[in-house]
Formats: sequence, structure tokens, C-alpha cells
Amino acid sequence: MKLTLRSLAIVFILTALGCAQDVASFEKRIRVKQLPNGLTLLVCERPEAPVFSFFTLVDAGSAQDPMRQTGLAHMFEHMAFKGTDTIGSTNYAAEKVALEKVEVAYAAYTAERDKGVGRDEAKLKQLEKTWKDAIAEADKYVVPNQFGKIVEQNGGQDLNAFTDYDETGYHYSLPSNRLELWAYLESERFLHPVLREFYKERNVVIEERRLRTDSNPIGRLLEQFDAAAFEAHPYHRPTVGWMSDLNYFSATDAKKFFDKYYVPANMVVAVAGDVKAEQVMPILEKYFSHLPMSQKPDEATTIEPPQNSERKVELMEQSQPLYLEGYHRPDYRSKDDAVYEAIADLMSEGRTSRLYRALVRDKKIASFSAGFSGLPGTKYPHLFAFYAFPLPGHTPQEVADAIHVEIDRLKKEDISDDELKMIKTRSKANLIRSLGDNEGLATQLATYQTRYGDWRELFRSVDRIDKVTKADIRRVANETFNDTNRTVGVIETTKGTGHGSNQSSADPASQESGSPDQGGAQ
Amino acid sequence: MTTTTRTILCLTVIIAAVALMAIPQAAAQATTWQQIPIPALPPFHPPQPKRIQLSNGMVIFLQEDHELPLISGSARIRGGSSSEPVAKVGLVDMFGEVWRTGGTKTQTGDQLDDFLEIRAAKVETSGGPDSTSISLSCLKGDFDDVFKIFVHVLRNPEFRADKLDIAKKQAEDSISRRNDEIGEIAARESAKLAYGADNPYAREPEYSTIAAITRQDLIDWHQTHVHPNHIILGLSGDFDAAAMETKLRAAFESWPKGADLPKNEIKFHPSAPGYYLVPKEDVNQSTIRMVGLGTTRNNPDYYAIAVFNEAFGGGFSSRLFNDIRTKRGLAYNVGGGIGTNFGHPGIMQFVAGTKSQSTIESIQALDEDIENLTKDPITEREIKNAKDAILNAFVFRLDSPDKVLAERMTYEFYGYPADWLDKYPAEIQKVNAADVNRVAAKYVHRDQLAVLVVGNTKEFDKPLSSLGPVKTIDISIPPPPGAQKENAEEENSNPTVSNVEGKTLAAKVVAAMGGEAKLSAIKAVKASMTLTQKTPQGDFPMQMESVIVYPDHLHAEMQTPDGAINVVVTPDAAFMDLPNGQVQNWPEARKAETLEQIKRDPIFIAAHSKDPNVFFRADGTEKVGDTDARIVDVNAAGAAIRWWVDPQNGRILKETYRTIGPHGPVQGETEMDDWKPVNGINLPLLRHNKQNGQDSSTSEYKTIELNPAVDPKLFEKPAEKPPAQP
Repeated sequence: MKLTLRSLAIVFILTALGCAQDVASFEKRIRVKQLPNGLTLLVCERPEAPVFSFFTLVDAGSAQDPMRQTGLAHMFEHMAFKGTDTIGSTNYAAEKVALEKVEVAYAAYTAERDKGVGRDEAKLKQLEKTWKDAIAEADKYVVPNQFGKIVEQNGGQDLNAFTDYDETGYHYSLPSNRLELWAYLESERFLHPVLREFYKERNVVIEERRLRTDSNPIGRLLEQFDAAAFEAHPYHRPTVGWMSDLNYFSATDAKKFFDKYYVPANMVVAVAGDVKAEQVMPILEKYFSHLPMSQKPDEATTIEPPQNSERKVELMEQSQPLYLEGYHRPDYRSKDDAVYEAIADLMSEGRTSRLYRALVRDKKIASFSAGFSGLPGTKYPHLFAFYAFPLPGHTPQEVADAIHVEIDRLKKEDISDDELKMIKTRSKANLIRSLGDNEGLATQLATYQTRYGDWRELFRSVDRIDKVTKADIRRVANETFNDTNRTVGVIETTKGTGHGSNQSSADPASQESGSPDQGGAQ
Repeated sequence: MTTTTRTILCLTVIIAAVALMAIPQAAAQATTWQQIPIPALPPFHPPQPKRIQLSNGMVIFLQEDHELPLISGSARIRGGSSSEPVAKVGLVDMFGEVWRTGGTKTQTGDQLDDFLEIRAAKVETSGGPDSTSISLSCLKGDFDDVFKIFVHVLRNPEFRADKLDIAKKQAEDSISRRNDEIGEIAARESAKLAYGADNPYAREPEYSTIAAITRQDLIDWHQTHVHPNHIILGLSGDFDAAAMETKLRAAFESWPKGADLPKNEIKFHPSAPGYYLVPKEDVNQSTIRMVGLGTTRNNPDYYAIAVFNEAFGGGFSSRLFNDIRTKRGLAYNVGGGIGTNFGHPGIMQFVAGTKSQSTIESIQALDEDIENLTKDPITEREIKNAKDAILNAFVFRLDSPDKVLAERMTYEFYGYPADWLDKYPAEIQKVNAADVNRVAAKYVHRDQLAVLVVGNTKEFDKPLSSLGPVKTIDISIPPPPGAQKENAEEENSNPTVSNVEGKTLAAKVVAAMGGEAKLSAIKAVKASMTLTQKTPQGDFPMQMESVIVYPDHLHAEMQTPDGAINVVVTPDAAFMDLPNGQVQNWPEARKAETLEQIKRDPIFIAAHSKDPNVFFRADGTEKVGDTDARIVDVNAAGAAIRWWVDPQNGRILKETYRTIGPHGPVQGETEMDDWKPVNGINLPLLRHNKQNGQDSSTSEYKTIELNPAVDPKLFEKPAEKPPAQP
């Protein structure tokens, strides 16, 4: 669901691809259809092997999490593997009644638990027991993981999903003779979702938070960094959710989120592989047209006001140092989006990149350094970030200074002809390289179809990069990379690193407001 | 090639049959998933690469793939980090990096970067455990240019020193960061438990092994390994195979064969079963790994193992996932199985990540699931589900020409039959419940697994020791050679557990000094020596007589031109009795430091080497004179000292320690020389002392008396005499 910094950079470089590689051939291979209920279906024929991949993109992510319910979009994503009325239950009629009781009992329990004044501990204990008993009753009807088992037993590969700030994606691959089975499973999952085993799965999600954020120094930094860089926009909250919210929200809340955002008009389903559009489209239509029509949700958010002073987050950790900085930039629809992509490529791509040559090769102060767009999302105004891992014996300040020298060069000097050519050639080649697998194709086509209303933008993006000039790069660098527009995130290493330390510093985890065991009122 | 195609055809039939058995007749309008029609999978003939063997032994595979205007490929060369010398662990990593970045005889690596990147092309090299490799990727129009570079890098690399320097810095950076994340710690330490800490598939580079690698080592590695008879080259992409063959023959046919590589015998020593702990304060989740040795893929049990793994610890359908994640909600990451590899045994492991507060509960849950394998064997139903999952997904192993090529290259490399994968589905199909439960019983024994826990011990639901004896693994990173001088204060070299080699070396030291029995009989030592102070004004020798009563009494008398100075240090007092009759009390810090000195004395450490509060950790190798000395960090009941030990004869050649100099704390260093037998034990009679790297003094021992009669008055404070008049 979340990514480390290194892989983040790679992902965003990949989505920056663009080229006119054979658009005409793709025109022939791609069919798009919007159903009367508003759902967009996209089929891309790629008959290389008897398999296909799909990507279902729901245009809502953690930026849509309600107040006090951070983590809810991600929580629903987990629930989308829990089955339907016909998958995962031995007796749905009875299970339904039992699940309703769980919700009533949980509401009563949290109402008492979260009382500011006058909480009755004995009553609370009783309410908790009632809730847990209700869960045990509902669990009697569960066929565990039946949805996932069906997919696996049919040869499903890479069955997974992710949630980020901007969207939620579901994907897997199957042999091509299972296309109709897939269409059934995927439509049913969003037609009759049953949020069974919600509170147990919530504990799994809490473990995911511990894994990715609480027990990971870079995870801890990114959470605090986003919170500092964004004050008004929902990007300031973690996708995985704050611990107290994770211990608060209910299956009822998740269902409300689903009802509002998982509507056909807010979803694109793309299929790529050994399929014939004319055969497949009617099958998809048959299954997906059952999804009830509903209004496309309003996803406008508070606009982050301009930043007018540098902000800094400094974590004292037992781990090795890291330097990160981010500058606010407009969203992906900006006319300068391609310019930012060009800058990311110039600064970061390979051993010819400016940051590699300056920090790794010449100054020898970092093991790795890069810059990229898309922290923490791209749909709304976000950050262009730079980061570096200082080598042993070098400090975050040294790498920061070296990054700033390179930023100054961008502002003051034109880049060379060779550099510009390199950026443009690479964007074309990278696009071509991304077209050779079903999963990547389905993901990219669904994403471009959602973000631009037209999958062809995937190929047109290369033209936009091709039009970038040296003057554009200077202008955008001067507009964006300014001290007052900057948020800095640093990991400094505490003394007494690791084992045998007698200078046992304050436990970093306990410095965090979201430390799990203070979260909720367990 | 034709055989292969035929077998694959048979397989599709089998797969379709499996599917059809599971699915009843299709209904017109499906209302449940069982009613969905599943047609037979169309016949699929994945393209097979053409295999060519040149007269010099080089094997080439060519795989046409005309989907996109690209060409990519790689050459795999026999020999990898599993055969690098133990003192130079990391050599093959450095080789894999600098092979490309160090450029060729005619072009620097930077020039290659510029040339390739402007074409969006790549030529890259890397090192692995069994092989090194060089790859290329380009638009097909650039192939000839890029291939030229590929051949140059392959055959004429220069390994320029500046790039080795960068590669070493990056390796050092990785070493410094290797304890930052619990996942990385767990993966590394569990591999050591499964294979043995010194096993080449488990061991890790250290600062000292990286420092030991030279440019010549890289050149030598290349000269030994990179010969056509050790190379398997595979190319795929938008080319004509016949034309490509001509090109490759022209490039490689005349390349002479090289000598055969020596056989690399590797031993696997799984750690003793039991509990192993890595304490980590800055986390709230524990990683649990139960590990043992797995097996190789040519084991006839491989297919039954594959089915077992899928059923027990694979995906959504597996027992571990359903019990520990779904039913108990204990973990996000959970799974495991009997690991297999082509060339060497995999790791058997069962893994869970859980909040600190359910660490013991999760271990017990894993225990229960493993133990249930006997009480409650894997059922026919579970086996059918696992086989369906494997067989129906089989097509994904062949769904791109690149994958088919990579599989073939792997079989060629490890000497598996070319049609190994073709047989796979039929072999899986044959597996039955008896097979699965037989391999479970044969390989999975809970009481033979080493259980590693990385986590925040103070948050655990119960102490790990409540389950059994616990060995704490020390993961502190041995500092770089020579680094102790610069930041000894920050370094935490004082070990709190011994490692095996540390103990072994300590035993050698004890033996070299005369053995434990004799040493522990020493209660006091009286010595006379010449102490020569080195100063900018020259050498100032003086005679000194010292009496040490272990563990904490010292008396020393120094003859100076002004008269005798007596120094006394005991736990109760520390003072200097000056020739003028004044008695100067020493500050507490200096007293404490002198008491530590007694504990740092080799005789004291050797006599107490088996005490529970004395620890030895061997850290790396460094030259002292011409000897490759092993570095041993010693914690002598709290006093820290580092020894450089000659592993041949057990002599301490050098030691470093923190001490107090004339102007405050300094880094002390003593080289020991002139080892001689003295009253039945062996001691160094000449010691060269340095402070902060500068020569400070030498001590030449004249006589050494063991267990002398000691007058207790020696340590009494004299009454202060009136100062003598000048």
C-alpha cells in the first residue's frame, strides 16, 4: 500500500512515460465502452499467451477518508476480499442478522468507551463482551477467504490491491479461459460486498501499520513529513490511518464509504491480454451493468494554501541518517506536468543524472540521491521531492547543501542539448518497455482513462515531454524550488547505536502521537 | 524443441481436464460462481529459444520476440560470491559493480554512461551467489552500437580504481544501514541460522572485508572466470535468429577457452534448535522466523513439497494464512514452507509479523499449526485445492518469451534437463495425500527448528525465555579497521555476548600464556621495568617497580631525578606520594581508570576468560606487521579493550583501549613484543605504547615475580610530611 522512497521514485518515473509508439496499432487493439450506469470498461487485446490481467481503478483514496476515520479507504480495500452474499457464507440470511447485531453492539461499546466524562467501567466490560459475543456468533457462518481461494484455485496470480491517497486499485491475472469467472467475481465483489470479519481484519490492518510505519524509521519520517508539508489538504493524514481512528471506525462506516465512492461512474475496469474485444465486451457488460447507478461523488478538497516559511521535521532515530525535502507543485493536470517529469528524469535517472554525478560520484557524500514528483499523491497539488542517503561520516546537512547546489544550477543555467535529448529519448523508450506486459498495460490504461478521460493520453504524454524546452526547466525550477516553499525531513542518528548501548535514548516510537498503545481506548 | 512443444500440448489438456472436473455444466445466466462456464484453454505453444553451443564451449540461446522494437539479453558467468575468499566477502558485489562502472580499456565508465543513456540503452553488470552477469537492453536500431560495448565490457574491462572507491563507499553505507529495519535483520539472521553463520549463502560483508578488496582482486576474478566455456548467453527481442547467430559467432567463436574452475564444496551447518533473540528497541512489531535447512529442486520430493507449501503456507487458501491472519488476526505477513533452490538447499521457514504484545502468542500459534500436521494431516480437499492453484497458474511460468528464455538458461546453468519445466505439471498431478503428508513428516519437525525473534523485548506478552533457553544474537556492526581511534567514544565496541570465534581465540590466548590453571593461580604480580617516556624533548627513561594484587590493588614506585614517586590505587584510595613529601589525591575519574587498567591486564583477562561477565567478540582481520591478526573486542567485567590476536599462535600482538593522558581522555594503543617464558607462563617483555596515535612510551620488563609476598602497608596512605625547604 505504501512504498519506500527508493521504489517511490521508480514508480513515478514509470508513470511519467510517454511516446507515440504505434498509437495506431493500439487504436485497433483497444475498445472502450461506458455503460449506462456510468462504469467505464476498457479492453486491450494482447494475444501473446492465453492469459489476461485486469485492473479495477476506483477513483477514491485515503484523501476521501472522513474525519476521525483515517484509514477507512484502505480498510475497505481489505474488506473487498471478504466475499459476497454467495461467496464466503454458509447461510447468508442468518449471517446478515448476526452482522447487524455486531454493529449495534459495537456502536454501544464505543459510545461508552469514548465518553469524555462518566464512563462506567463495569458497563463497558459488559458492552465489550456483548460485542465480542456477537462477533463470535457471526463468525459461525463464515467460509474463510473463499473469494481468494476461488481466484487461487483457478490459477490467479498476483491477487492483490492497493490504496493510496488518490485511488484504490484491484488486480490479478488468470488464464484466459477464466474471463467470465473473473467478470462474475469482480462485479459481485462490488455489487454485494459483505463486510464480514471486519474487526479481525482491522487488527490485520493495524499490524500493517506497525510493519510499514511504526516499526520502520523511513515510514515514521514520511508520516511526519506529510503531516508537516500539508496543513489543510487531506494529504497531511496517513493513508494507513492514525492508530486511534483504526481503533474507532466500524463496518457501518466502511459500508457508507463504499456506498458513496464505489459507484460505477467513479470506476474504470481495464482488461489486457488474450481476449477479443468483440467477444469479451458483451460478457463484461452482462455482469458489470448490474452495478447500480449513482451520482459521481464530489471529491473536491480543501486547497492547501501557499506555504510561506520553511518547515522541518527532524527524527532522532537509532537508524542511519536520511535527508528528504519537498516543494509544493500543482496537480498532474498542470501545463507544466511534463516539465516536472523532465526535471525528475534529469536529476535522477541513472548514472548520468545530475544528483548521482554530484553527490555519489564527485562529492562522494551519498550512496543514493534522486528527485521525483508525486509525494504523497498526484491528483491534488503535491510535492516535488529530493532525497539522499548520506554515506557514513557525512551528514544530512552536507547532502542538503549539495542538492541545493544542483537546484541552483537548474535555476541559473540552461541544461545541455545532450541532456534534453537524453530525457526525450528515454521517455519514448521507457514507454515502449512498459507496453510488453498485461498487468502494466491494464494499470496504465485504467489510470490514464481515469485521470484524463482518454487512454490515448498515455501515448500523448510523450509529445508533452518532447515539447519541453530549456527555458521551461529554468522557469519551473525558479517558480518551485524556493526556501519558503520547502519542507525538510531528516533522520539523525542518536548516539549509542543499537546493541549494547548504554546511552539508551528515548524510544523513538513513543515520541509519535500515533503510538499504537495509546491509540484508541483499549 | 519438438519434444518440448508436444509435452506442453499434453499439459494444456491436463490443465483443461482439471478445470472441467471442478466445474459443472454452464448455465445460461450465472448466479453463482460454480455455474460459470470454463472453456478449455486454447492450445499454447510458447516459443522455445534456439540453443547454440560454440566450439569454445559458450552456450547461446536466441529467442525471437517481435512484439516491440526492443532487444535485451544477458550473459551468465559461472562463479559467484559463494566461492569468494572469506576475508574478502563482498568481492563479487564489488566486481559486479565496477565491471561496468570502471569502464573498458578504451572508454571510462562515465563515457559509456553518456553514450548509452542518450540512446536510452543499458549495459549493466552484477554479481550473485553462483554467478556474475552482464546484461544489455536497447531499441533494436541501436543494437550494433550497444552490442559492441557489451562485448568490450565483457572482455576488456579496466576496473578503474576511482569506481572501486565509490563501490566500496556504497558497500560501507549498506553495512552501516543493515540494522535499520527488522525485516532485513530477520532475513539475514535467519539465513545464518539455517545455513550456518559462515556459510557463503548467509555471510555478510563487513567493513574489514570490504577494505581488504583491491583492484587486482577484480582483475584476477575476471581473468579466472570470464571465459567462453563458463558463459551462457541469452538474447531475446526483435531480431532474426539466423542473422543474430552469425553476428554472435563472429564476436565469440575465436575467443579461446579458459581453464576449468575448481569445484566449490559448500557445507551447510544449521544452528541448533532453540530460541534466538535480536532485541530491537525502536519497533512495536516482532518478526518471528522458524527456520531450518530446505532442499534442492532435483530432490524427487520436490513436487510433493510444492503442494505441501501451497497448502500449508502459500496464499489465501493456506492453513497459516487462514489460522494466523484470518482467524486470529495476529499478523499481516504470515506464511512459509520448505524452501527450495536449483543449486543449493533453500531455507525452510515459517514466518509471522505480529505486534510486540502478541509475540509469544504468535509463536505458539505457529507451533500449533506445525504440530497439527501430525494430528490433523493435510486433507484430500486441501491437496486438491493446492494442486488446482499450482496447475491452473502454470501457464504464467511461460507467458512471455523472456520467461521461457530465463527458465531455459537456469536449467542449463544448474545442469537440469531442458524439459524440466515441461514435466512439472504431470509430476504435480501425480502428488497425492500420502506424498504430501510423508514430506511434511520427513522435513518439518518443530523441535528441530531455530526460532528467531526480532523485536522489542520489553513489550512482549511474556519473556521469550518462558518458552525455553534463549540465545541473544549480537548484531552490532564491527567498526571499520582503524576507526576506533577517531570515534571510540561513540563506538560501542564493548560486547555483551561472545561469538564463537571470539571464544575460540580467547582460548588460544589463554593457552599461549600458559593455560588456565596456571593463570588463575596468579593472585599478585611484582615487576620491575624501564619505562621510557617519549617527549618532544627526547626520551626520558626511568626505573619502575610495580605490585598488582588482583583485582583492584596497585602500587608503583618510580625513580625520578628528584626522588621516588609512589602511586597507590585501591577501591578506597588513589594518591601519589611525591618526593617532597606531599601526598596528592587523584581525581575519581583517574582512580576509576587505573582500576580498569588492572582489569584490562592480559593476565587478569586470561585468568577470567570463562567468567560470565567476560565477553569476546571476533570482528575482522587486520595486519599487524606481517601477520593477519584477528581483531577481538573484549569486555572484561565492564572494562573494554580490543585485541589483535595472531590466530596461529594465540599471541596478543596489539591492544587498544580508552585511557587518560596528561590532557584528558585519549585512545591508548600498546604493541606487545618479546614474548618470553616467565616462571612457567609466557608474557610480552616489551611494550610500545601510543596515545592518540603518537608514540608515548615503552616499557621493558626486567624481572617478573608471581605471587610475591605483599606487605599490606604498601597500600596505606602515609601521613603528610611538611614540605621540604628548597
